[in-house]
Amino acid sequence: MHFLTRTIATAAIATGLCAPAFADTTLNVHYPMPGFFKDVMDVISKKFMEEHPDIHINFVSPSATYEEGIQTILRQAGTSEMPDVTFVGLNRLRMIAERGVNVDMKPLIAKEGDMEKQGFTDHILKLAQVGDQQVGLAFATSNPIMYYNADLVRAAGGNPDQPPKTWDEVITLGGKIKALGNGNDGIDFRWQGDEGMFSALLFGAGGAMLSPDEKKVAFNGPEGKAAVDLISRMVKEGGMPVLTKPAGEQAFVAGKVGFAFQTTGALRNTIKNVGGKFDLRTGPIPLLNPEKGHLPTGGNAVVILTKDAAKLDAAWTFAKFAAGPYGASVVVPGTGYVPNNELAAKSSEYLADFYDKNPLFKTGLNQMNLMIPWYAFPGANGVKVTQTIVDNLSRIVEQSATPDVALNDAADEVQKLLPRH
Amino acid sequence: MTAATAQNLPGHSLARLAAERAAKQEALTAWKLAAPAVVLIVGLVLLPTVAVVVFSMTNFELGYDDFQFIGFDNYVELFGDRTFLISLKNTAIYTAIVTPLSVLIGLGIALLIESETRGRAFFRTVYFLPVASLLVAMATVFQYLLHPTLGPVNALLALVGIPGPNWLGSSQTVLISLAIIGVWQSVGFNMVLFLAGLTAIPRELYAAAEVDGAKSGFERFRLVTWPMLGPTTLFVTTISIINAVKVFETVKFLTEGGPNKSSEVLLWTIYQEGFVYLRVGYASAMTVIFLGVLIVLMFLQYRVLDRRVHYT
Repeated sequence: MHFLTRTIATAAIATGLCAPAFADTTLNVHYPMPGFFKDVMDVISKKFMEEHPDIHINFVSPSATYEEGIQTILRQAGTSEMPDVTFVGLNRLRMIAERGVNVDMKPLIAKEGDMEKQGFTDHILKLAQVGDQQVGLAFATSNPIMYYNADLVRAAGGNPDQPPKTWDEVITLGGKIKALGNGNDGIDFRWQGDEGMFSALLFGAGGAMLSPDEKKVAFNGPEGKAAVDLISRMVKEGGMPVLTKPAGEQAFVAGKVGFAFQTTGALRNTIKNVGGKFDLRTGPIPLLNPEKGHLPTGGNAVVILTKDAAKLDAAWTFAKFAAGPYGASVVVPGTGYVPNNELAAKSSEYLADFYDKNPLFKTGLNQMNLMIPWYAFPGANGVKVTQTIVDNLSRIVEQSATPDVALNDAADEVQKLLPRH
Repeated sequence: MTAATAQNLPGHSLARLAAERAAKQEALTAWKLAAPAVVLIVGLVLLPTVAVVVFSMTNFELGYDDFQFIGFDNYVELFGDRTFLISLKNTAIYTAIVTPLSVLIGLGIALLIESETRGRAFFRTVYFLPVASLLVAMATVFQYLLHPTLGPVNALLALVGIPGPNWLGSSQTVLISLAIIGVWQSVGFNMVLFLAGLTAIPRELYAAAEVDGAKSGFERFRLVTWPMLGPTTLFVTTISIINAVKVFETVKFLTEGGPNKSSEVLLWTIYQEGFVYLRVGYASAMTVIFLGVLIVLMFLQYRVLDRRVHYT
């Protein structure tokens, strides 16, 4: 018995001594998609705590998806369980901002003064702005790129070193790959799941989702029409089959699809799944209007939730660190996302060498100047709009409606989902 | 009744008094013993159900602090909501395919296994495997099997010259494909239940039937097995319907309700509204309808069919 009490006492003292002696502030940090980000977060927080011994990072249990992450945050908002810092999908920032859950970073940035020097250009800051609020700092960003199977391109008479520059060329070559037979398909365009890739075509043509005052649907204009016509042509002439999202990915990595269009965020996984099965390359996604075209930005941003003045400084320091050059130099090689920080991309201290050794990753980097925010629709039905667009796109892909009809139906339905005031 | 009042009433013997006290004591003990279960049922089943009903009459959205009571507006909106109506229809079709097929095939396999002594344990295990396996993991396998260009199923069909359908990709076939996976998953479970039901049938009944002139196997099945399996069949059917109405994993992992809502089912719609669009009030209204459908089905089965299958 005596022995037991002594052991317990020793243990108590030992744990007391082992507790971080300098941790004046503890930040509770929450993040989604541990499959992508767990290792990245561990590396970043370790380095951060080395540099800032007075701040302790404590990760609360991560959420499986962006949606579940938002759910958790909104459920905990205003309670003591709410984490101090979280990471939110760029297309869901508006949801957080409209509900007033986050801390506006505008004053913090103003106090900082030299954000540009730390690699946060205005262009990069804009990605995580909603209205006149700075909701977060972009942490992992991505843009859509073209993945292609160089073996199939060669077999169809194309030159894999000169990938197609226009959609017409993609469709012609896609048709030829389909004509090779043997179960080969020309194109897999990631139209399922969300409207991200549709906006890649729409923004690429210089179009916008809504009118500037956000009251009227604008995606049914000439740019939107060009976008849906293109999707229809991919099916009719470019050899695009009707596939579910996982089926499409599977077919591409199995070497049965010539061109795949999706986010560069999937690059690391695609490289892993393709292995040595075929010669995988990436190239810029063609723009319907090379002069006016832009590309939507996927990914997430670090958002501060704590309104506690004592914690705010620590949270801001961590946010800057995670979204800063060091954070980016960890995120990029681990995922395929593009650097969200100018400094990280250009300085050899961080990523310049990495890009020389991994040319597949360069495509996303080179498209960075085209990136504009992934548009988030206003109002309570903001997310539902996404599904409405996807549903109508599927009618085009299945050829059960003409592009015109599907586009107009989508516009009518989305208009009804917008706030009426 | 207390002991004091009992004493004032003539004719109340001591024995009666003791018996009453004992009965009361027993009732109290019974309540004490049942208390943990009662507390758990109230706390974990009844209260959440009441909360869902209350939420269904509000416009509560996750993230906003306040909400208003809006009466039955959510329900009114529901029955004008195209997505919800499609979802109801798809769930009904899915259930109408999966339930009879999984019950009949389950019964068939159980009869085959029961009639043959060799390898009984082996076949029982093999057919039960789908129940024990994780549907999420198996969804990936089915995704590959039913892949329109890479999948072995279409490769086999091509060998005999049939152009395979685009199983999960086409709005024409997606519900049927999901139903096939649903049947695959529930047959094993139904089989085990039927096997249990079969062993409970007294052997003498078969002998008696044979003496009475039921010579063929089918006659014996019609006259003995099927009627004696009545309660089991009722139970299996009930469970199968509940499971079919609850289809979710395959939809979430294989089709996400698509293409163009052709695999939109009830739980998926509720999930989307509640967890993605965050409209908790509206999703609660759907959940209430969902519960209502299940309760009505159960009620019908137990009221209408129960009387026909129990012979006492």
